[in-house]
Order: sequence, then C-alpha cells, then structure tokens
Amino acid sequence: MSTLTSSAAPSPRRYRGWVLPVVAVAVWWLATHQGWSDSGLLVSPQKVAATAWHQFTSEAFWRAISSSLARNLSGFFIGTTLGLVLGCLLGFSRLFERVVGPSFNTFKQISLFAWIPLISVWFGLGDVAKVVFLSLAALVPVVVNTCDGLRNVPPAFLEVAKVYGFTRWQTIRGVMLPAALPSIFTGVYLALVYSWLATIGAEYLLVSGSGIGNTLIDGSEHFMMDLVLFGMVVIGLVGWGLNLLARNLERRMQRLYGITPR
Amino acid sequence: MAATQPLTAVQGNGLRLENISKYFSSTSTDTQLQVLDNVQLDIAPGEFITIVGASGCGKSTLLRLILGLDEAFDGQILLDEKPIKGTGLERGIVFQDHRLFPWLTVEQNVAVGLKNAPLSPAQKRETVREHIHLVGLQDFVESYPHQISGGMAQRVAIARGLVNRPSVLLLDEPFGALDALTRTRLQRELQHIWQQEKITMVHVTHDVDEAVYLGDRVVVMQPHPGRIRRIVDIDLPRPRNRSDARFIALRDDVLSDFAEVS
Amino acid sequence: MARATATALDSEQLPGKPLAPVKRLPPSAQRAVPRVVARAAQGSAWQSRALNRLLPWLLPAALLGLWYLGSERGWLSDQVLPPPAFVYQTLVDLASTGDLWLNASASMQRVLVGFLIGSGLGVTLGLVMGLSKTVEDYLLPSFNALVQIPVLGWMPFALLLFGIGEPLKYVLIAHAALVPVTLCTLQAFHQVPKRLLEVGQAYGFSRRQIVTDIVLPSAVAPIFTGLRLGFTKAWLSLVVVELLASSEGLGYLIAYGRQLFQLDLVMAAVVVVGAVGLLIDRSFEYVERRLNKGRAVIPGRLV
Repeated sequence: MSTLTSSAAPSPRRYRGWVLPVVAVAVWWLATHQGWSDSGLLVSPQKVAATAWHQFTSEAFWRAISSSLARNLSGFFIGTTLGLVLGCLLGFSRLFERVVGPSFNTFKQISLFAWIPLISVWFGLGDVAKVVFLSLAALVPVVVNTCDGLRNVPPAFLEVAKVYGFTRWQTIRGVMLPAALPSIFTGVYLALVYSWLATIGAEYLLVSGSGIGNTLIDGSEHFMMDLVLFGMVVIGLVGWGLNLLARNLERRMQRLYGITPR
Repeated sequence: MAATQPLTAVQGNGLRLENISKYFSSTSTDTQLQVLDNVQLDIAPGEFITIVGASGCGKSTLLRLILGLDEAFDGQILLDEKPIKGTGLERGIVFQDHRLFPWLTVEQNVAVGLKNAPLSPAQKRETVREHIHLVGLQDFVESYPHQISGGMAQRVAIARGLVNRPSVLLLDEPFGALDALTRTRLQRELQHIWQQEKITMVHVTHDVDEAVYLGDRVVVMQPHPGRIRRIVDIDLPRPRNRSDARFIALRDDVLSDFAEVS
Repeated sequence: MARATATALDSEQLPGKPLAPVKRLPPSAQRAVPRVVARAAQGSAWQSRALNRLLPWLLPAALLGLWYLGSERGWLSDQVLPPPAFVYQTLVDLASTGDLWLNASASMQRVLVGFLIGSGLGVTLGLVMGLSKTVEDYLLPSFNALVQIPVLGWMPFALLLFGIGEPLKYVLIAHAALVPVTLCTLQAFHQVPKRLLEVGQAYGFSRRQIVTDIVLPSAVAPIFTGLRLGFTKAWLSLVVVELLASSEGLGYLIAYGRQLFQLDLVMAAVVVVGAVGLLIDRSFEYVERRLNKGRAVIPGRLV
C-alpha cells in the first residue's frame, strides 16, 4: 500500500481500483484487532476467511450451492423457452398480439415477488414452487424483448424479402429471426440475471429445501455475521460469473452483426 | 440511337407504362394527394433510361410500382406485352440504402437473390461467384457488410440485383449515399456492366450529370403532381466524356428545366 | 473540381471480368402482393376499428368467466381459488374500513423515502464519478463488485445490522434504487456525444461551462431513465421486504392473508400492488417522454 501512495509519478490507473478495497479491509482488520466495538457482530477478516475455508471443504455447502444453481438453471431454461415461444407468437401474429398483448403487459407490471404467496398456496413450499417462480421471472424479459425485436425488424429488409419472392416461412427464418436476434439475446441475458436474483428471494420466502439463500438466512438467524458475509460473497461471485458468461456470448454475437460492443 | 449497343442480343422484353396515375389518401384528413399523373413511357429492350427530377416528383414511387411492391394505381405496366402482377424475379432492384443483411457474408447476400430461383445449388454458387467477379469484389466474399465500405456494399447490392439476370434492373438513386469519387467510379462500372449484360435499366437519380452520363434517354419529371415534363435523347457514343462540348450542352439543357421549376 | 476528376477517372482501368453470354431465367411465377387499399370504404373501417378495440378484452373476459365458473361449480376449493365476488368484496372492505389506505400509505411512504435517499445518493455518486475520471478510477471497481450482490443478498446482513424495524426497509429500498441510478447517471456522463464536446472546445468554453451547458442538459434524459428503473427496483424490493419482515404495508397484507389462508385478501392486495406500481410507472413514462421530445430514442427495452 505504501508503494502506491509514495511514488512520485501518478499511480498506474489499473491499480487505483484496488486502493479502496485494500484500505477498507485494513480498517476492518484494525477495528477487530483493536476491539473498537464489542458487538458480537464485528467479526474479524480472519474469522470470515476461516469460515470460508470451513464451508468450501464441507459437503453441505456444495450441496446447497448446487441445488440453488440447479433450480436457477431449470427455471431459466423453462422460462426462456416458454418466453421465446410466447414472444414469437406475439411478434408474428398481429391478432395474437392484440388479444394477449395487453393482458400480458398488465400482468408484468405486478411486482414479481408478489406472486410468491399465491404460488406457495398452489404449489407448496418446495422445489416445484421455486422453479415455477423462477420460470416466471425468466419468462417476462424474454417475452418483452423477443416481441420487440420481431416487431421492430426494419421494413427495408422485409421489402427485400418480398422482392426476392420469399415465402412467409423463409421471411420468418431468413429475415425476421436474424434481425431480431440482438433483441432476443438481450432478453435472454436479462432472464439470466433476473432468475438468479429470484432464486435467492425464492429461497427466503419458500423456506423448505436447501440452497445458498437458506444458508444466508440461517446465518442471520443465528447471528453469525461471518457466515452471512461469506454467503454474500458467494452469491456475488455466482452472479458475476453468470453475468460474464452472458456478456461473452453477447459480444461474440455482436461482432457477427457488426455492432460495436459496449 | 446509332451509337448505342446493338439490340439483337436481347429478347423482346420492353417495358411499357401506360397512363400511370397514383393517389395517396391521407387517413387523418379526407384529402387525396395525387403523386403521379398520367405517366406514359415506352422503354425499348436493352435501353438505359434515366429518370431525373426534384424531390416529390414521384420518381421513386414510379419505381416501386414497376417493381410491384405497390399495386394500387391506375393504368397498366406491361413487361414484354404482359401486365405485371406483384413482384417478380424478372424485375430486379438496387435500393439507395444497400439493404444487405448484416448477418450474411457478401457471398450469402448475393445468393439471397437466387433464394427461390429454379437452379441447382451448384449452378447458384457458380452464378453468385460470377456476379461477385463482375463487380470486382472477389477478394471479399467472406466479409460481412460492416467490414466493407459503402461503395463496396452498394456494389454487392448491384451484384444481388443482377444475379438472377432480370429483364429489367431498377435502380433507385443507388449512388446517392456515396461520396463523389466513389460515385463517379461506380457510374462507370454500372455503364460497363450494362454494356456486358444488355439488361434494360431504369435508373432514378436527382443528379443531372449522372443522368446525362448514363442514359440513352433522360426522362425529366416535375412534381405536384408527378408527370413527365419531357424526354431528352442523349445521342452520344460511349464511353462518354464529361468534358465533351455536346455532353455539356445536353446537361445544361436538362438543367435548365430545373431552373424554372421552383 | 468535379469535372476535372471525372475526366481523370474516366481513363482508369476498370475492374471485373466479362461474363459468359447472357442466359435468361425462365419467367418466374406471378406473385401477388397484398393490395394496398388507397381508398378505404368508410363503413368497413369503422367496424374493424370497433372490433379492434374489443380484442384486448377477450382474454381477461374469458379468464374471468372461467374463474367464476370454476368457483360456482366447485371445481376448485375456496381455499385454492376464492370466487371473484369474494375478492371484489374484500377489496371494497379494505377500502371502506380504511385498512387499504393504512397499508398502502405505509408502503408508499417507505418506498418514497427509500427511493429518495437511494436516488439522491445515486445521482451524487454518479455525478462525482462522471465528472472526475480520478474518482471514477478509485470508486467504480469497488462499486461494480458490490453491485454483483443483489439486494436480497444484502438482506441478512442488513437484518443483523439494523434489526427488523423501519431503518431496515429504508436501507434496502435505498440500495435497490441506488444501483441503477448510479450506473445510469455515470453512463449519462459518458454518453455525451463527443461532437458536442468538441463544439464547446472549439468555442473556448471553460470546463465549468462545458459541464453546465453541454454535459448536464444532455445527461438529463438518461438520468431520468435511471430514476425510472431505480423506482421499479425499489418497488420490487419493497414488496419482498414487506413480505419477509414487516407488520404493515401491502406486502404485509399479502403475507398475512397467506398465513391465514385468506386467498381473497392475498389476491386483493396483489391487485393493489399491481395497480399502484402501474400508476407510478406510467407517470414516470409520461415525464420521460416529455423529456425525450425531439431526441432520437435509443431502442431496446429493459423490463
């Protein structure tokens, strides 16, 4: 740390981001070492590290994280598939959009989590209910973005298809779907993000079963701050990993379309 | 017409426009706007016709009618003595915005023109390659539209327009979006291609210089409503020389029409 | 001069090679294009427009009918799906006894306070990072790392720190709003069109003038989009927090009804949550549209 502050030349830009976290951890360690507070909540960095190690080597943790991920991915795939189908129907058929569209738009306004109690009555508190909820969370952004993408295909391209005698099926497959792909992908990306978010929430609210969210709630109920901090970091890491994966795929696709990546 | 190419190599596929009138009705008010008024034009097989006029004279609308994208008009359009109905592969088009599909390579984009042509895949590949050679882009067959310049993209569009060897090629201000140098070069290329292919060409432009340079006859249109003001024969040998006194005289003659019409 | 260049280019060598003798394709089958009716008959236009307005109501009407039938015929027990009449009655009761107002206002107050705190902080943070690259370098990486943890991930931590009272809710809702607002504000500053900045530089604008006259006006619309997104997230978090840890509010009503198996109460509360959320979102949309007038709207929707 001293090398960063005492150098005469301005510190290399890349390292600036590390300053804050390093300082924060240092202050934290100092606080616990000097005993600035006697609250049971002030756990030292070492304790958190020790808990982390303990968790990583325990079977229960891996079981929890894999059930969370399994539910997340199942909900994501089911929701995305259904969402693509619904989105395509809304995008291709004007009649369907007129009949179903407004109802769907109203439905999606309702905060997602408000549905959980109803879902818990109809599907119980276990895995089924959670997957249903997650599918719902994934479905909404996919439908919205797919429908948007299909409805916003530039008419210029549709005219080219008409000029070259494309059949309706050829137009859909050769022009509309490729043109809508960037939008569809945005929807899938959002679905991935939202379904992870929903996974955690579902575990808080539908408490039967195991999962990383349950671990967190346990930690807070037993006042184990170290466990809570550890759980938060894990959740953040998983979210970050999913995000990275999705962004990588998105960049690959954007390069194909000649869109400059963000 | 002695200086133009011999017409014997071409089949009888003259284009005739008889008493074409078109109205646009506004949905908000109950008025009708007359866009074309009694347009009458006889185009001989293999002829290069340029249509020049200010904005609002209906020249692009006229092209869309010939293309078959719009069937609501009064009058008849006959190709080879048969009235046209809808779009057809015997009438090709090059749009002002090249309208290449961003998700396809240059080769695939040209192949779009042959999507529904009654040829074997091998024949299609052969023809596509031939036409890419014709516009000089054989080194870019695997490139995507965003990787090539505007001028090159427009050449691909020309290749696509020609790939199914239409009887008539319509060009809607194809060089309007390009810089002056590229435009000049493409005008020469177009002329060269026309001399090779002997396809009837109907070329719409707002550039009088281009119209006189390219056309066998220049159709001058005037707006509100769109009608043919007059048709000027360009009786000059090709390749044409822009510095030639006769060229300049003809160009000034056509330009004088626009000085009067405000 | 154009003429001079044209003459020079004329003598260039042309690319491309000549083709084989022309072989024409057989004439293609006639293909009809849907006819554009330029002059629509008056009568049929009116009829189709009326039908058009009815279509959106078909699905809700059908569902409502099925629901009614289902409870009439006893296909579903009252506990699983109460009759529509019950739900309506409950709504009316809630409204008349003042329960609805009590809970709704508790929720509204929470979300407003939380949103104001969160978005205020968010705009400040985004502003500071946007104006100073140095600050951004120091803060943004840590911010991005913390953002990876969703609001719900913070909840147990906040529970331990703040207990179960009001501050918990404010903190969580504020956090939910802060993240998108900060990111959108920062992006607003990054998105100022470079060409406008160059105009400022060409006319010798001072740094302060560039900020006030070019950067801030063009940043207003994206910042507002961020605010709207922040509110959506705040409302979402409100519902979750109230479901988990509160004793009044709309979310509480839902949880309470669920515990007592009074599904009519649950559904009534869900309807209210949806309605309020819709109302506020529409107001944001209205203001956003006014702000974006005369500006190219960036396509791409975020739910």
